[in-house]
Amino acid sequence: MATTESQAAPAATNGSGDELLVVENLVKHFPVTRGIIFQKTVASVKAVDGVSFTVRKGETLGVVGESGCGKSTMARCVMRLLDPTGGRIVFDGRDITTLSRPEMRPIRRELMMIFQDPYASLNPRKRVGFIIAEALEVHKLGTDAEIKRRVQELLEVVGLNPEHYNRFPHEFSGGQRQRIGVARALAVNPKLIVCDEPVSALDVSVQAQILNLLKDLQTEFGLTYIFIAHDLNVVRHISDRVMVMYLGHAVEIASRIQLYAEPKHPYTGALLSAVPIPNPALGRERKQIVLEGDVPSPLNPPAACWFHPRCPRFREGHCDVETPPLYQFGGEHVAACHYPLERWPMTDEEMRRPTGTPMSPPPAAAAAE
Amino acid sequence: MALLEVTDLKTHFRTDDGIVKAVDGVSFSVEKGQTLGIVGESGSGKSVTCLTIMGLNARVNTISSGEALWKGQDLLKMSSRHLRNIRGDDIAMIFQDPMTSLNPVKSIGAQLIEAILLHRDVSKKQAKARTLELLKAVGIPRAERRVDDYPHQFSGGMRQRVMIAMALINDPDLLIADEPTTALDVTTQAQILNLMSKLQADFGSAIIMITHDLGVIAEIADDVVVMYAARVAEQAPVDNLFRRPHHPYTWGLLGSLPRLDADVERLVQIQGQPPSLLNPPRGCRFHPRCPYVMEICKTTEPELLQVSHDPEHFQRCHLDEETKDREAAKLTHLGDAA
Repeated sequence: MATTESQAAPAATNGSGDELLVVENLVKHFPVTRGIIFQKTVASVKAVDGVSFTVRKGETLGVVGESGCGKSTMARCVMRLLDPTGGRIVFDGRDITTLSRPEMRPIRRELMMIFQDPYASLNPRKRVGFIIAEALEVHKLGTDAEIKRRVQELLEVVGLNPEHYNRFPHEFSGGQRQRIGVARALAVNPKLIVCDEPVSALDVSVQAQILNLLKDLQTEFGLTYIFIAHDLNVVRHISDRVMVMYLGHAVEIASRIQLYAEPKHPYTGALLSAVPIPNPALGRERKQIVLEGDVPSPLNPPAACWFHPRCPRFREGHCDVETPPLYQFGGEHVAACHYPLERWPMTDEEMRRPTGTPMSPPPAAAAAE
Repeated sequence: MALLEVTDLKTHFRTDDGIVKAVDGVSFSVEKGQTLGIVGESGSGKSVTCLTIMGLNARVNTISSGEALWKGQDLLKMSSRHLRNIRGDDIAMIFQDPMTSLNPVKSIGAQLIEAILLHRDVSKKQAKARTLELLKAVGIPRAERRVDDYPHQFSGGMRQRVMIAMALINDPDLLIADEPTTALDVTTQAQILNLMSKLQADFGSAIIMITHDLGVIAEIADDVVVMYAARVAEQAPVDNLFRRPHHPYTWGLLGSLPRLDADVERLVQIQGQPPSLLNPPRGCRFHPRCPYVMEICKTTEPELLQVSHDPEHFQRCHLDEETKDREAAKLTHLGDAA
C-alpha cells in the first residue's frame, strides 16, 4: 500500500548512523477468535498498525497518547515480549524482529523495562536484593560476592539505603519501590530502557523525585530511554523528541520544542489544550479544545484518517476518503494531517476553519504511487 | 450563612499501634455555587475529611469531633437515618475509582433508578426518564441503548460519567468529588472538568474537589485548602494562592509539577516521606522535610494565621515575609516568560 510505504519513508531515511533503535512499519494485530475447539479468527484488534520511528543513542523519545492507542503494545513489541505481526525492529544494527528465544537472550540484557505499577511489578515473596540481582545471575555476570557488591552499589545509585538489601518490597513506599524497579533495569548496564508510564501511579512530589532520578541517571550513564506516558507535562519535561500516537498510528513526531510550540496535528493540539495549567489567570484565558467521545475501537477503526470522527477540522470527502501520509514540516517534524494547524495556540473556532488548500502529497508518497 | 461550615474537624482512628490522627483540626466553609479544592499528598487526610462529613467512616474505632454544619444542622451529630436521607440527595459524592464503586452485577440504569427511588416519590417510569436525561447530560452517546448495559461494558471515562450522573441525579446542593479524574486521560479529564463546571452553572451546586494536582485546582477551584499531615497548611482564594503561595509545602507542590508553561531543568523535590500520623513530628509538622527549617519550627507549631494585606489568605508557617517573598516569587514568575 502506498500510504504505509510513505509512512515508513521519513523515519527510515534520515539516518545519520547513531540510531540505537529503528522501527519500521511495526504492526501488531491480536486475533479475535470464536469457537472452543475449532477456533477461527473472526476479526483482529489492530493495536499497532504501521508505526515507524527511530531512537538515537543517548536521547529520550517520549510517546504520548490516550489509553488504548497502542503505546504499551508498541513497547512490548520492541522488547520482543510480544511477537510483532509485521514490520522490522532493528536494535543496535541487528534485526531482532524474528530472532528465536535463545537468540534473543544475550540481547535482552541490553533492553530493559521499567513498569507502571510499582506494586504489581515486584515479586512480593522475594527480597529486594534478589529482585535486582536476578538479571545479573541469569546472565552470569560475576561471582556471588561481586553481584552483591553491584546490587548494593545500585541501591545507592537510585537513592536507597544499601543496607535494605534484605528487605521485602512491602516494606517500601510506592516511590521507593519504583526506585527498586529502576535499579533492576539498570543492573545489567542496558543500552535502552523502555519506561512504560513509570510515574503515572505516583503522587506529584514522588513523581518529581523519580523524574529527576531518571534524568540524573541518563546524564551519568548515557542511557537511552523510550518514555511512555499519557501526561504531556511529564513527557515535555523529560523528552528530546516526542511521538504522539492515536489508534495504533504515529500521528505526529517532532522535537520536544517543535511539538509543544507549533503542533501540527489537531489531535496534538487538543491534547495540549486539555492539560491543566497550574496558573489560574493563564488557564482562564486559554481556549480549550475539548474532544468529544472516546477513542474508537481498534477492532473496527475509522476509514482513511483515523482521527476524522473526532476531528474539529474534519473535511468531508477528503479526510474520510484519503489516508494522510506523514507530511514533513521542516527539520524532523512530521504529522499525518491533510489540514494541519497553521499556528498555535488557536481558539476552538479557528480550529474549525482550516485553510482551503490541503497539504500536497510529499515526494515520497508521490513516488510510491 | 455558608452551605457547609466545618469547624475544627477531627477524625481519629483507634488502631493496634495507637491512635492515628487522620484529620486533626480542619476548618473550612463552602458557599453555594462555589468550588472548594482540597490538595495534598496521599495520606494528608483529604479523603478522610470528606468521608467524615458524609458520615461514611466505620463507626467502630473512629472518634470524630468538631462540627460540620449543613444548612445549620450538625452532620456529625445526626442519626444515621437522617444522614441517609441527606446522602445522595442533598450531598452527593463521586468516588475516585469508577471501577470499584459501581455494582458490577446490576445494569447502570438499575443503579441510577435505585438512587432516585430511594429519595423521591416518583414512579419507575419517571425515574427512568430522569435517568436517561442525566445520562445524556453527562454526554453518554446513545443513552437509550446504553442504559441497560453493565459497568464492564463502559470505558473508564464513561464509567466516571455514570458516577457523575448518579451523583447529580437528585440535584444535590453539594457535590464532593474525590479525585474524580486521577485515573483518566487528559482529554477525558478535560471533558469531565468541563462537564462539572457546566453542571455547576446549570444547577448552582457547590463542589468540594479533592485532588493532588494543582493544575486541576487552578482550573476549577474558587478557594483552596492545602492539607499536610492531617492539618491545614494554607488556605486562600485560588488567585491569591497561586499569586503568592505562603507555605514551603505549597512551594514544593508547585515546584514538583512538570508544566507546559515553563521550562525547568530540575524539578523541586520535597525530601523524604509524609510523616506517620500515629506519631506526627513535634513543632511544625512539615519541619523534617522543610528546606527553610529554623530552630523555632522544631519546637513550636505555628498557628494558622491570616496573612497581612490579604484577609482571606491563611497560612501556618514561621518564616519571615522577606524570605517568603523571595522564594514564592521564584515559583510564580515561572509561567510569566511563556
